[in-house]
Amino acid sequence: MARFDPYADPSLAVRLALAGLLLVAAAATAGAFAADPEAAAPSPVAYDDVVELGLSSETDALMAGSARVPRTEVFYSQLQYVVGYNGVESFVATVGDGRTERQFGYPITVYVETFDDARPGTTETGLFRSERLGEWTPAEEAVYVVGSEARSPAGETVVPFRERDAAEAFVADHGGRAVDWEVVRSRSFDTDSAAAVRGTAPDRWTAADERIAAAERRADRPVSVVVSEDAPTVEAAVAAAPANTTVVVPPGTYEETLTVNESVTVAGEDARIRGDGNGSVITVRAPDVALTGLSIDGSGGQTRDPEAAREGRDGGDGTWDTNIQLGYGHGDAGIRAIGAPGLVVDDVTIEANASGLLLREGSHAVARDLRVNGTDEWRDGFMGITGMQSRVTVTDSVFEGGRDGIYLHRADGSVVRNSTFADNRYGAHLMYTGDALIADNAFRNELFGGVTVMTRPSGNAIVGNDVRNSSAGIQASGTRTYVGYNTLVGNELGFSTSSRGSLYERNVVAGNDEGARATTVVPSSRVVANDFVGNADHAGAGAGALRIWADGDRGNYWEGANVGTHEPGERAYRPTSPVDAALHREVAAVAVRESPAVALLDRLRGTVPGARSGSIIDPAPAAAPYSPDRLAAALDPDAGPVGADWRAELNGDTGTTTMDTRDRNATGGSIDPGARPAGPTTAPPTGGVADA
Amino acid sequence: MTGPLSGVATVFRRELATVVRTPGYGVLAAGLLLVVVGLLAAGGGGATGFVPAVVDLLLPTEVLVPLVAVVLGYRALLSDAESGELAVIRTYPVRVGEYVVGVLLARTVALVAVVGVPYALVGGVVWLTAAPDTGIFATHTGVDSPVLFVRFLALVLLLGAAYVSLAAAVSALAASRRSAIALGVLALVAGVLGGDLALLRSLAAGASPTTIPEALALTPNGAFRGLVFEHVIGVAFAPEGEFVATGRAVAALVVWSLLGAVVSGAALAYGRRVDAVIEEIRSGFGG
Repeated sequence: MARFDPYADPSLAVRLALAGLLLVAAAATAGAFAADPEAAAPSPVAYDDVVELGLSSETDALMAGSARVPRTEVFYSQLQYVVGYNGVESFVATVGDGRTERQFGYPITVYVETFDDARPGTTETGLFRSERLGEWTPAEEAVYVVGSEARSPAGETVVPFRERDAAEAFVADHGGRAVDWEVVRSRSFDTDSAAAVRGTAPDRWTAADERIAAAERRADRPVSVVVSEDAPTVEAAVAAAPANTTVVVPPGTYEETLTVNESVTVAGEDARIRGDGNGSVITVRAPDVALTGLSIDGSGGQTRDPEAAREGRDGGDGTWDTNIQLGYGHGDAGIRAIGAPGLVVDDVTIEANASGLLLREGSHAVARDLRVNGTDEWRDGFMGITGMQSRVTVTDSVFEGGRDGIYLHRADGSVVRNSTFADNRYGAHLMYTGDALIADNAFRNELFGGVTVMTRPSGNAIVGNDVRNSSAGIQASGTRTYVGYNTLVGNELGFSTSSRGSLYERNVVAGNDEGARATTVVPSSRVVANDFVGNADHAGAGAGALRIWADGDRGNYWEGANVGTHEPGERAYRPTSPVDAALHREVAAVAVRESPAVALLDRLRGTVPGARSGSIIDPAPAAAPYSPDRLAAALDPDAGPVGADWRAELNGDTGTTTMDTRDRNATGGSIDPGARPAGPTTAPPTGGVADA
Repeated sequence: MTGPLSGVATVFRRELATVVRTPGYGVLAAGLLLVVVGLLAAGGGGATGFVPAVVDLLLPTEVLVPLVAVVLGYRALLSDAESGELAVIRTYPVRVGEYVVGVLLARTVALVAVVGVPYALVGGVVWLTAAPDTGIFATHTGVDSPVLFVRFLALVLLLGAAYVSLAAAVSALAASRRSAIALGVLALVAGVLGGDLALLRSLAAGASPTTIPEALALTPNGAFRGLVFEHVIGVAFAPEGEFVATGRAVAALVVWSLLGAVVSGAALAYGRRVDAVIEEIRSGFGG
């Protein structure tokens, strides 16, 4: 190593090197301040690679046809992920919404899908469609058709074009008018939000009441045939009975399988129908059939029909989910309904070897007091209710054992309530099923989970359920889901926030291994007013930007968050930080939390949430639980399932909630179900540099 | 080389030699690197980008950099005076101004090495390692860019230079090593806390909040913090308003540096006369 001699005159080379270094440093510094870091606009990326927000792209209406939702790609200043909005209006709804800017920063670049050469039009039902995919065009350069007849599954949709001529041509065919980006971005759109879903939950309950009452009226028919007296077998009795009459099945065991081809009521009086172990016991192929007071066993054990699935794949009608439709819809069942809308199943017990009640092809059914005892090992059996393209209304029923308590596939608008599930794989399992209500059910010892919504449906409400001792309480994916007033105790995972643009509120999450898990990479949901008590970890986060779990100045209740020397709610709580996570278990964590090092690091943490990753922050943890009564009941080992009076609470405030229903990515202006409207936020207009 | 530059250059080289021969400064740099790396590791901001890394470092930096600067400067002028070397130097044709500028330049270069290198290394690590959590989605950097970290580094060094200069002034005023430590700590506390406390006090006393951008720019820490918000972190937000008057803040940091130099020079030039006056007063009180 060269000796350092400050007194010798440095050689020319050294001098040049020093001068060069100085110049470079000076130039770099000057350049750093002169350069504009946001100047370079990123190029559009493949839409498959973006993180989707906005409308669901997997609603039945979109999956089943050629309809499209114009898409938008947004590059936010803080967020490392490219966000794709289904529906230009979905993105527009977030513009000026402080919440999105707070989470992601401001949009640097926005691209919209333009349909100049894509042969745009509308489907028979008025949904926007195009023969080809559009091209990406910078949002401010595009021309937009608003107010045309083209709609999205959620309502009005904006159709972008690159050239004004193309836009005018579309206007000529489909109405509306062509406007610029500035006009579009300042418009408000009448679209739904998760808060709106919450608002409709009590209505869905009422609708179920009406369906049940109608079913009761349907089932109440004059007696025409009595089995044994008028006909030797149930099948013969059913065949003999005129439409709209009742077949009475006196007490006893009837060893037969039968098909109901007429709209009749089969009313058992402590009667058991026992199949021969092959196929389904009762097959219903007529509308408005009622089956009451029966016990059913002896169905075949075939859960799916691989033959049907294969045929469907090879030469079927090519529907996107033919495989599952046929595979899941063609097994054996205690009661099987095919194209039989208006089915009523009341006071029926099924010993299920495969499915208990299998519905397909629009067999909209009401089930009350249905008891399905499935197999002990879930792999041996199938679903308590399998509903394929059939809207079910289930109340006061019991599902034990078997694969899934209730499996619904393309069964929009189903209601499952007041029922008990135990020892299933999943309790209630929804696929491609939106606008459903899963309410006031009790789930126990579910192997995989209590309530699970897979794929990306929209507008489900999961309310007032009580899930315990299961792998997971509630795992709902999709969009605009309302998960509220549930009580989740002693599960491995309480709930996950897999559904985007959704609202998770008023849940009591106690004694779970992990209370809640943030799963979506880009946060777009609200998690607020939940009570987290006695969980090993209150919450965990998967990959993705920092999640802010609060609504304005209203956070969640976290046991331990307010331990220490500060006013309750004054200090942000981070359930994912090792120190905060230990607060409810180890008091000494307080001393670590108050250390200058932690304080200095924590102070600005929420400043650029979009640029951070893998954690959760609640800037305003609540001082006391939101639902103390339910919490006490949840923690009491002797108390039964906990119910919440959510219908009264949600109905009571519909007049006072200031919902921002046009913002479907978030969930509304104020989501406080109480009368208190959102106060002015205390965050500075810069988006929260001061403190999270 | 002749003229004032030659004097400055000679003193600069001598001072640089002193710095290089002080192993403690190397340890200081290593320690600083350790702390900064530890902060990033604990804070986690460095894992995703430069802006969150700066967010994690900002507040600790406000304490660490002044501390290092004071350590570098608190004896800069005192040790020569104490050992009598200053008196010898004064017999050479080197003016006080040249001497002070030479010493300060050398100490500032030391600061660039001791503070700049650890921060630059950390920036390099962030550059190499920062990545999104998951690669299954398309990603981009947003406004995050190494440029922002270079800005931060430049502002850090500007803050450090102001404190080096102020610490040198302290060293010129101090009469002994012990009093230099005491005065240095005082300057540190006054700088890190005092300015903001004064600002708080004036706001509490009824000063208009509209004066904040200008008042904030007056203290070195306030100016630094404001500049980092304005030019580094604030870039991630939609442009609106300003956190600090940029020109005023930069000017304040430069002025604090110059002020330190002027005070140092004045103390060395007239200190002995002041001492004499003080001594007279003291004897007048009955000594």
